Amino acid sequence: MILTVMQISCRRLLHNRVELLLTFIVPIAFFSIFAVIFGGGLGRGTTPKIKVVTVDEVDSVVSRLIMSALKKQESLRFVREEESSQLSRSEAQELVRNGTATMAIVLCKEADQLAAQLLADASDQVASQVVSAVVNRSIMLSEAEYQVSQLGVSDASESGDQQNIAATNVGNDPDAEMLGIEESLSRKVEIVDVMGEGKANPVVSMYASGIAVMFLLFGATGGGGALLEERENQTLDRLLSTQMSMDQLLLGKWFYMTAVGVLQVGVMFLWAQLVFNVDLVGHLDGFLMMTVVTALAASGFGLFLATLCKTRGQLNGLSVILILTMSALGGSMVPRYLMSDQLQQYGLWTFNAWALDGYTKVFWRELPVDALAPQLAVLLFSGVAFLLAARTLAVRWESD
Amino acid sequence: MNYPRPTPALAIHDLRKSYGDLHALRGVTFCLERGERLAFLGPNGAGKTTLIRCLAGLTRADHGEIHLGGKPLKSVEARKHLGFVPQEIALYRDLTTRQNMVAFGRFYGLRRSELRNRLDWALQWTGLGERADDLVGTFSGGMQRRVNLACGVMHAPQILLLDEPTVGVDPQSRQRIFTMLDELSESGTSILLTTHHLDEAEERSDRIVILDQGQVVADGSIEALVKQSVGTQRWVRLRIDRPLTAPLRVGAAADAALIGTTGEDRISTRIDDVSTHLLGLIELVRRRGYGIVDVQVEAPSLHHVFLHLTGYELRD
Repeated sequence: MILTVMQISCRRLLHNRVELLLTFIVPIAFFSIFAVIFGGGLGRGTTPKIKVVTVDEVDSVVSRLIMSALKKQESLRFVREEESSQLSRSEAQELVRNGTATMAIVLCKEADQLAAQLLADASDQVASQVVSAVVNRSIMLSEAEYQVSQLGVSDASESGDQQNIAATNVGNDPDAEMLGIEESLSRKVEIVDVMGEGKANPVVSMYASGIAVMFLLFGATGGGGALLEERENQTLDRLLSTQMSMDQLLLGKWFYMTAVGVLQVGVMFLWAQLVFNVDLVGHLDGFLMMTVVTALAASGFGLFLATLCKTRGQLNGLSVILILTMSALGGSMVPRYLMSDQLQQYGLWTFNAWALDGYTKVFWRELPVDALAPQLAVLLFSGVAFLLAARTLAVRWESD
Repeated sequence: MNYPRPTPALAIHDLRKSYGDLHALRGVTFCLERGERLAFLGPNGAGKTTLIRCLAGLTRADHGEIHLGGKPLKSVEARKHLGFVPQEIALYRDLTTRQNMVAFGRFYGLRRSELRNRLDWALQWTGLGERADDLVGTFSGGMQRRVNLACGVMHAPQILLLDEPTVGVDPQSRQRIFTMLDELSESGTSILLTTHHLDEAEERSDRIVILDQGQVVADGSIEALVKQSVGTQRWVRLRIDRPLTAPLRVGAAADAALIGTTGEDRISTRIDDVSTHLLGLIELVRRRGYGIVDVQVEAPSLHHVFLHLTGYELRD
């Protein structure tokens, strides 16, 4: 008896492709995705680079040596490099605030000492540590290089080598006053958080939006599944024999799923405001814009998947695979700044990445709503494109 | 004096539909008159579902014409007069009876007072007024069938298409459903139903169309079909008290026929007139010394017509 039960179960499993997929392929797929993200499998050699801008307020030989050393660092990517020499501290700070750069490295003088201030976006919790270490190392190496060159100058001076003296140009060098072994050891690299004053933990709003978008997608595919149920129990046939057209049916479902999605995300952020101090009320305009277009896109995606599949079982299998993959790549599960550059680029093919970028602009960077234009445009376009694709696929249900 | 013939409620002419090499419909032509109840019969795979889907506008025919009340099917105006009830319980089971009826009423274009009136009528018609606010998913199969039916006639269509309306319901529910259909028919609705229950078709329809292999093989009243196909002779079956020792000779010498088989205690034959020929047959058997245990006389039915026209082979 027991053997027969086992045999029947095994045969049923072999006949069910979706179940086979979920049992054997999906776990491998997810393992692979996370291995790629954290193990550097795909995109090896393109480790995440931190976007920085630099401001040299000292403009001395040593500061230039430091800047030069920083530019050789593989872990940093310089944005606005061509403007770097003209950037002011406030301009650099603005670039950090609007997300163009993750961090601004400002070389300055503090109590007659060469110091570095790192204007940081606290939402990237890795960048501060990495850049701080890199800057410290660059300062120490550059100072050492300078002091070695100074020794060379002294030797040259003693040997009457006037050419070397001219080359190093330290006749009235301000570095001479700032340097010294004891000062080097206590060189100050200060991290200044230019984004997070008085705000809730950035991770909270990031995860609120990440989880919200992921479940928006699950909800949307569930809503799309209702269409397949209607088809399976002939309700769809019946509806189409009335005065309702497929256009009206799909639009009705699209708007309904969007409304439910907006409500779903709204409730989630309300909870985040009440319990985790995410400032929803203060960012209501941007939040609503982002939520409406994200919900429209997710609903379009749900309808597209539903019209692509033949059965509810197929839809369930496919949606689990796609949504979890999109969520992993798009930053709903793991912040995208932890991923390699290549994976970050792949992430831009997901709703999640665009939606999360938008929510970050709203809640973390507090940018005006016109800064959301790229995210709004991409999500809205995706929503409409998926809806049109769903409409095209649904033609086969209208009249075979 | 010649009166113009009224336009049929539904007219189908030379309808053809193929799926690749499979010819589901091969030139189907028939009419449904106003207020008529037409049963559509055919073995599995005969093309009934394809035809119903074509009529409901869900499948596009490759060739042919369908007119509803004289207007082409594609006309929105024409489709307003069509009701369709699929074989499945095509309802929102997580909504109440009232909510389902209102939803389908709106899908059919009803608004406000008209919708309210039709809702009241539908609840009374189905006998589900007291269960109006109960979820359909909690109903028995028969009750769900009644709601299923009501949702297809919320807009008071002139033509109602029913695909197997009594599948899986008990005899009481079947009776109730046919009583409901009788009421509709009396109010002038033309009804076209497909069924596998030949007795239903025989008892509840004015006319029968039999479809086989995508073609209409018979169309007419039951009496006409019987006469055209199997004839009006009755089958007589006698059971005698012992096995026959030899076949019995019946009739005059010139056209005598042998009935019965040696060794069997049953005799079957067909007679034209029960009142005269049955007594003669019984007398003949008794004269040969056999006692009669049982007599069965069977008139040809739709069952015989159906099997005669479509054959005995399984079509699965």
